Amino acid sequence: MSRESLIVSTLVELADNLVDSFDIINILTTLSDRCVEALEVDAAGVLLASPGGELQFVASSSESMRVLELFQIQTNEGPCMDCYRSGVAVVNVALSEANGRWPLFAPRAIKHGFHSVHSLPLRLRGRTIGALNLFRTLQGPMEDGDIAAAQGLAHVATIAILQHRAMLDATSLNEQLDHALTSRIVIEQAKGIIAEATQCRMDQAFGRLRAHSRNHNEGITLVASAIVAGTLQANDLEYTFGDPVKQAVL
Amino acid sequence: MSTERLIDIFTLMANHESEDPHGSSLCSVAKEITELSGAGISITSEDGGQEQLCASNDVAQGLLDLEMTFNEGPGHDASQNGTASEVSDLMGEGGQRWTFYSPEAVKLGARAVFGFPIHIGAVVFGALSLYRDSTGPLSEEQSSSAYLMASVIGRAVLVMQTGVPRGAIANELQGQSTFDFSVHQASGILSVQAKLSVKDALIMLRAHAFAVDISPSELAHRIIDRGTRFDFQSRVWLETDPKNREYEEYGN
Repeated sequence: MSRESLIVSTLVELADNLVDSFDIINILTTLSDRCVEALEVDAAGVLLASPGGELQFVASSSESMRVLELFQIQTNEGPCMDCYRSGVAVVNVALSEANGRWPLFAPRAIKHGFHSVHSLPLRLRGRTIGALNLFRTLQGPMEDGDIAAAQGLAHVATIAILQHRAMLDATSLNEQLDHALTSRIVIEQAKGIIAEATQCRMDQAFGRLRAHSRNHNEGITLVASAIVAGTLQANDLEYTFGDPVKQAVL
Repeated sequence: MSTERLIDIFTLMANHESEDPHGSSLCSVAKEITELSGAGISITSEDGGQEQLCASNDVAQGLLDLEMTFNEGPGHDASQNGTASEVSDLMGEGGQRWTFYSPEAVKLGARAVFGFPIHIGAVVFGALSLYRDSTGPLSEEQSSSAYLMASVIGRAVLVMQTGVPRGAIANELQGQSTFDFSVHQASGILSVQAKLSVKDALIMLRAHAFAVDISPSELAHRIIDRGTRFDFQSRVWLETDPKNREYEEYGN
């Protein structure tokens, strides 16, 4: 598929998700995955600011992206931090030339195989609420068209965050941000339970949550909450995506 | 933004604790940081009941009492639903959702009330109840401060439940207001190993980190890497030396 048709199908899929299951973690994880497919990037992830202003991890397309996003939060440096603080996109930064700018982050990201990084702000009414991060293993700049498309997807992410609780009588942006970050913590707690109960890795535990969520058409946060509450057993989760129709679309 | 506000919170807490070491520093700080008339904190006990932790003044105390008596109100809703609740005019339409609480709260002098959940993911610790003696919603700034305060209180309550002296709490909370993800994953792992709820596993993890004098996230990483585990049969913590993968007892 061409980039244009991939982006269009991504938008359609996200719009369906908004109407359908209303789970912000599902939506932002899907968005990260689709960025990798539709744009010339190798990993994508979303960070959101808590109502108190602390940047936190919410979704990523891969484990190494997740590790690097957490690393940025820990060390308080990197493209996402710069983008969030300034509210301005950070694009086409070659990591080989970024040692002065990010002395801790640049070598760490290179170790994970990345060579250029981009971070686009999620902005709403003058407030920056997070960042969409795109990392590439290739050297060289990203096409202008890809950057414009990525910023478009960042806007979609912002709308998703706003939208996903509109039907549940949400009162404020702060409440929606708090909800998204709480969902992520519930998922981490559930991952720990699944990893220990079934002796698997954390990324596999997440995969099982996601597969179950898809197969049963339930939000991933709902599935994770049931695991933490003990009303759903880790061993009863599905291991793979079982729905043939959904599989064909993927 | 958050760093400055967190520093404000910790400075206020340190001041209040030195004045009144056994008192209600968390509530006083919550009231000041949100610029409202008063604050109260209720804690959800294991059987689902509510206990009062503190209140910043008599009105706030009275409001907590009303919530317990009638089993309704902003804190009750916040801890039940896991989301914030707000009634910006108790005598208006919004106040009708609490048939018994609202008129009594007005008699005490409250005109607007707000509830924020105190939780760490799926683990609910209680609620922060705030009131103002005039009507009106919270500004975005005030609601940001209330959320930040609720996350600091969440960690403070966790620390209290591990049994450390209260004077040590402000010191303990320095840094970020929330845990890094390893702590959440590790409390999930530990809940399976020790056959506990995630809430008790989190308290146990925090207590053990104290006992062996390492940070919660360092202990969490060891648990995730399977270097440290809790043995349910013998009720002891075991540690593996990576060189010989046999578990050794330590630091119970």
